[in-house]
Amino acid sequence: MSTETTSLPATGRLKTDEMIINMGPQHPATHGVLRLLVTLDGEFVKHVEPVIGHLHRAQEWQGQNRTWFQYQALIDRVDYLSGMFTSWALCRAAEKIDGTEIPLRAEYMRVMVAEMNRITSHLLWLGTYLIDLGAMFGFPFYPFREREKLLDLLEAISGQRMMFNYIRIGGVQAEAPPGWFARLKAFTEEFPQRVDEYEAIVTQNPIFLKRTKGVGILKKQVAMDYGVTGPSLRASGVPFDLRKVKPYSVYDRLNFEVPVFDGDGDTWDRYMCRIREMRQSNEIIKQCMEQIPGGSSDELREKRKACNSCDKADCPNCGGDLRIMTKKQNAGLRIKAGEGFAAVESPRGTLGCYIISTGGDTAYRIKWRNPSFSNLAVLPVLLLDHPIADIMAIFGSIDVILPDVDR
Amino acid sequence: MNSAVFEVSKFARLAVTWVCIIFGAVWLACWLVGVFIPALITQAAASSTAGQYWAEICRALVPLVAVAVFIPINAMFMVLAERRALALFTVRKGPNRVGPDGLLQTAADAVKLLFKEDITPRGADALMFTLAPIIFFAPSIIAVIPLLAAVSGNHPLFGIANIPTGIFYVLAVSSIPVVGIVMGSWASNNKYSLVGGLRSAAQAISYEIPLVLAIVTVCLMAGTLDVVQIADMQKGPFWNWFLFGNGALAHVKDGPVAAVAAILLLLCCLLLFLIYITGACAEVNRIPFDLPEAESELVSGYNTEYSGIKFAIFFLAEFTNLFVVCTIAAVMFLGGGHSPFGSHVETGFINWLGAQLQSLPGSAQVLSPAWLVNSLVDPSTLSQAIWIILKVYTLVVFAILVRATLPRFRIDQLMDFGWKRLIPLALILLVAVTFLRELL
Amino acid sequence: MSEGHEPEKAEAKDELKAGPFGQFLEEHGIPSRRLPDSCGVETIELDGKHLEAAMKRLRNSHEIALNFLVSVAGVDSPETYDSVYHLWSYSNLNELVVKVRVPKASVPEDRLPLVPSLAPFWPAANWHERETYDLVGIRYVGHPYLRRILNPWDWEGHPLRRDYKQLVDALNDKNQFSMR
Repeated sequence: MSTETTSLPATGRLKTDEMIINMGPQHPATHGVLRLLVTLDGEFVKHVEPVIGHLHRAQEWQGQNRTWFQYQALIDRVDYLSGMFTSWALCRAAEKIDGTEIPLRAEYMRVMVAEMNRITSHLLWLGTYLIDLGAMFGFPFYPFREREKLLDLLEAISGQRMMFNYIRIGGVQAEAPPGWFARLKAFTEEFPQRVDEYEAIVTQNPIFLKRTKGVGILKKQVAMDYGVTGPSLRASGVPFDLRKVKPYSVYDRLNFEVPVFDGDGDTWDRYMCRIREMRQSNEIIKQCMEQIPGGSSDELREKRKACNSCDKADCPNCGGDLRIMTKKQNAGLRIKAGEGFAAVESPRGTLGCYIISTGGDTAYRIKWRNPSFSNLAVLPVLLLDHPIADIMAIFGSIDVILPDVDR
Repeated sequence: MNSAVFEVSKFARLAVTWVCIIFGAVWLACWLVGVFIPALITQAAASSTAGQYWAEICRALVPLVAVAVFIPINAMFMVLAERRALALFTVRKGPNRVGPDGLLQTAADAVKLLFKEDITPRGADALMFTLAPIIFFAPSIIAVIPLLAAVSGNHPLFGIANIPTGIFYVLAVSSIPVVGIVMGSWASNNKYSLVGGLRSAAQAISYEIPLVLAIVTVCLMAGTLDVVQIADMQKGPFWNWFLFGNGALAHVKDGPVAAVAAILLLLCCLLLFLIYITGACAEVNRIPFDLPEAESELVSGYNTEYSGIKFAIFFLAEFTNLFVVCTIAAVMFLGGGHSPFGSHVETGFINWLGAQLQSLPGSAQVLSPAWLVNSLVDPSTLSQAIWIILKVYTLVVFAILVRATLPRFRIDQLMDFGWKRLIPLALILLVAVTFLRELL
Repeated sequence: MSEGHEPEKAEAKDELKAGPFGQFLEEHGIPSRRLPDSCGVETIELDGKHLEAAMKRLRNSHEIALNFLVSVAGVDSPETYDSVYHLWSYSNLNELVVKVRVPKASVPEDRLPLVPSLAPFWPAANWHERETYDLVGIRYVGHPYLRRILNPWDWEGHPLRRDYKQLVDALNDKNQFSMR
């Protein structure tokens, strides 16, 4: 800056007295109980301190004090919008330490329910994000229409709408009920048109573009330094998706794309990234239904009539790849001694679980690596010098779930 | 698809029921105060001047009574209509439990709000805090009074409210509510409220300019500020409306220059209407301009700290303001209460109806057109009332549709849009319209 | 809870040969000690004073590029306080677990174990270190803002310590049969 303009700050605005606003923990747009201590200069953010922990439920402590069998039912609550993924991360870490073999059918079932859960999570994000932008009543309800259908399907297979407890250590909880595959197939056929519908309303909406283009730019290097993962990272141009980079489960057998954007990602890129991810998840579900060994649950039931569902390990209709569970699910569930870290790609990013087991019925130490926790840490950088109206537009765009942050 | 049709028909039924209730109540009140009671007084006091005097006073009260009855019921209906319409647009049901088909939902809500504890926050300026909703609400009541004359075809009972500078008065009064918002937001002792109030002040001031410029252009074309005269100038078929250039199209055959001028004038008038609607949306804090109460940023903006009856008044006033701006639009651009097909259609219908009634035997003879005209209702007023209802509520539904579709602007983008787009455009149109009128 | 802890047992065995990352650090003059792999991932132990240098080397090196700090975990092991760093890479498949272990015997009674902080040069560590400080009670020296993050700011004790006793408040006192 030259000397003549020293009275103005670098941004070229007149400097006024700073005002501290306490946003939350009760605030309509903080998605739960985030508290932001925002220092404002006029309407512009000078400093943000996120205050978290209002929803801390000591999930790690519970892991050390509940049996494995109890705990795997609890951890769906960590990230309530994508319970499948928290289950899956725990199960993967435990199975890695334990050396448990997972039957192929169970792996496909896991991928299917997880991708369904990814779609429901992104749909809810889409609705609430539009609310953050001020589209208060109209559009946000459309994604919920499709989400409802998926939740019905997930409820049919797991018995729960949100706290599924479906993915268990050693496999999955249950075979799909009759007709489930057909309903899912009908949904996957219909879903791309629904996404087109959302895009028709939102993607090129001039006000939406004005609110999101060039807002909340997350530079590639900053994202990497802060350990940001998930769509927020990929929108910033880093092609890092565990499903592609370190394929786990059966993702290496599936043909899908990971949407990545060039350059520094803004809010619109993060929105677009999630929209495309939903389409890809839909493709993954379709492929899973084709590839799954044993075919649909109805076909399998027909075949199993021959052996009267004997459940013997060497039965061609019940054993081998067609099993869905390899460990006894009861309070005596134990994991071998050892330590390990496993992660899955949740809708919000890399969801990791670090387990130290001593062979007992509880863990010695469980540490969760939650994507929301790391993604939220970058918020103060993102919000700097943005007007107060953009706080929620940007905060919404990194898709943080507060129970996932606070655990 | 069929279920959608069913839902729409249910919504239409609900709207028609409410509109009948509203206007039935208004008509009844007006008839009581304007016809029945004066008749009683004159009968009782025979021919004394005092009796005549009181009867006159009673008649003069009609516009006030009409507004006092109309505004609360109408706001209740609009809240319900908005909720039901939004539900319709968003594949939901909407309130459908209280009363037949949810008819009484807002009445129940109003009762609930009235009985709620009235809280004044600690550190608030109690006097200002209480005055703010009143100052916010009062102008919207006062503002509609001159419009009554325009929408009723200068009916003798309402004509008293007409003033020669009607639209000037309406615009002046309808810019007062922002004072109430700023007062309330400042008095609440809350930072969210304060930011909301300041935004509201900035927004109202910026968007009033294009709004007024659009109205001024219409007044320029009309050559008068009298709302009744402006409405009357748009009599006849719909191309006489100011929305379509007040009959400019009639000049298309007057030669090439006039034809071009007429078409340009038509386009200018359409743009003017859009400018007015945009400005009006901002003026009454509707999405996409609802920044003063932006929920995701400012909790609830200027009315964060309000509860109970004061909040109810704010809420009522917001919907009344929406109604007022829609009425202004209907009077200034959409021909007021005049039929879009020319008045002969309704006259014909009423005559036909009268003939049918007269052909009825016996007691139905009471319903002869002469009796209808003289005692119950004036047919031209009735037709005007129906048309103005249709026009105004169409605009209201349009505002609801916009609300269901668009996200919210950011404050700086809003200011940019107002000062850098709308105001220059409105000024250009003002000059262009003046010029083009000369060419016709 | 059984006291035997698998890495502890392994420590008694012969010194393991340095893995690729251990050799890389050796080349740059940073001593490290290999621990038994955790599920096939190389695990090394570093001395606290070498942590910053080693992390900078691993992160900035082009071929290794361990530039993704996945998590910082605190573990209250039977003999030591561990600070466990999981390092991944955004650009390749490298994985590494780094542990800094502070023997409990070396920590005075009323003090917290000290580990140098990564936060000044690696923002990803910032919140994870605050969390570890909060829950396990490891003080990260040089951290710019080491305050409790999940628990309230006035909380006493560190809940994930094995010897942590929950403060008994009036409500829990009456309910003796509550969980723990």
